[in-house]
Amino acid sequence: MTEKSIKKVLQRHRLSGNCHMITFQLEFQILEIQNKKSLSSVITDLNIIMEPTEYSELSEFVSRAEERRDLFMFFRSLRFFVEWCEYRKRTFKHFKEKYPEAVHLAEGAASSCMGVRSASQPGFEVVIVWRIQIDDEGKVLPKLDLLTQVPQRVLELDKNRVIETAPLGFRNLLGVLGIEATLESLIKLLCTEEHARSRH
Amino acid sequence: MELADTLRPDGDPKGGVLAHLERLETRMHRSRKKLEEPQTVQAEESALVTEIQKLRRLRDKLRAEVKRRQAGVKASTANVEPDQTWEITEQEVLERKWENLKAILQAYRFTGLSGKLTSRGVCVCISTAFEGNLLDSYFMDLIVQKPLRIHRHSVPVFIPLEELSAKYLETNIQHFLFTLCEYLNAYSGRKYQADRLQSDFAAFLAGPLQRNSLCNLLSFTYKVEPRGQSFPLCARLLYKDLTRTLPTDVTVTYQGMDALSTSWEEQRASQENLFRTKPLHHVFTSFARKGEMLDMSLVS
Repeated sequence: MTEKSIKKVLQRHRLSGNCHMITFQLEFQILEIQNKKSLSSVITDLNIIMEPTEYSELSEFVSRAEERRDLFMFFRSLRFFVEWCEYRKRTFKHFKEKYPEAVHLAEGAASSCMGVRSASQPGFEVVIVWRIQIDDEGKVLPKLDLLTQVPQRVLELDKNRVIETAPLGFRNLLGVLGIEATLESLIKLLCTEEHARSRH
Repeated sequence: MELADTLRPDGDPKGGVLAHLERLETRMHRSRKKLEEPQTVQAEESALVTEIQKLRRLRDKLRAEVKRRQAGVKASTANVEPDQTWEITEQEVLERKWENLKAILQAYRFTGLSGKLTSRGVCVCISTAFEGNLLDSYFMDLIVQKPLRIHRHSVPVFIPLEELSAKYLETNIQHFLFTLCEYLNAYSGRKYQADRLQSDFAAFLAGPLQRNSLCNLLSFTYKVEPRGQSFPLCARLLYKDLTRTLPTDVTVTYQGMDALSTSWEEQRASQENLFRTKPLHHVFTSFARKGEMLDMSLVS
């Protein structure tokens, strides 16, 4: 049994950078093993520090990436996540500008919730919750949900259970019209046209 | 008497005397001259000495002038030197910036997407990995023109490159590149899993692993214990989503058996679930570990 010559090289790297508003710092190790027939490179350790930490979806994603030592997936998913965040911000901002009285952004355009209330029907509000999730495999998917807030009396009058089925209807509508058109139609439904400021 | 004869031109004897006188005169002149020579030499010498002195003075004057000018130049270069050192520092700064830029470009390789400028555009390199294992890299030569087009690439044919480029290349190139990254990484990951199954867990397979080039359809017959009495199972894994490394559709059946008792059905369903939730080679690793635990329990 002869010991074949195997060359092992351990590289240590530190990367820091940012993707839009998120800054990150990574430290990782790559172990290269060269034996006679092949060269294999394996990431043996990965540590990720990210700011800002208010995106709660990201912290889970980060620990998963560290666990799996999946460096490329981290960057790819981060990129798509940020893209979706920016799109969400733009979309919320657009609707706030178009329907300033009806649309209500509690935490500003960067928030994940958009409230829509009817000026003529106070106490009647729907909240669109738009979360951006990163699944097990690093795939970034938007998840939108509708929450309704209506007075008790309205619920009693709602014989057709419109309010109850609204969230489901919302999700179905998303599949048909897409995000922007669904939100637009929902806002239009709740407030009268005169409140809308026309934008070209 | 005979005096008049001396005045005759052709009279040699008469001419003799005059000639003689002439000769004497010349001789006298010569000797006088000889007497004078040291003096002329001296005079010449002194003249030369004066000349030498004059030249020396001139030389010293010129030397002084040269020295003065040299000093002047040095003074002016002394003023220039700080500028020169400033230029060097600027050069150093540029060099450092260049090195930093090169390092950043190298660092981009670790993001899985990197590129370098070519004469006509950009050569993009997509690196793939699965669970920390660095796998193949693919490249794409983009020509920056209107319209932007792909000149050459090493992307396999079964990756829908044309479809993706038609959709996104012109409008949103970042989205195009990252989506392509997704496809290639997923393909690499699926391929890696299939390769590992074939190489590391051949003992568990009852027949050859059937796979397509895209590695999104796998079919194999396996046993939960490599050398055991357990029944062989047939598994069919379909990865409909080409951006994923886990199958979307899994079918596990006991070979040659249609109707199953509840316990067997439970087992079958749990197997299906395993393949749906864990990477292929990890499933077989867990089989191997279970087998080891079983052996351990037998021994103890």
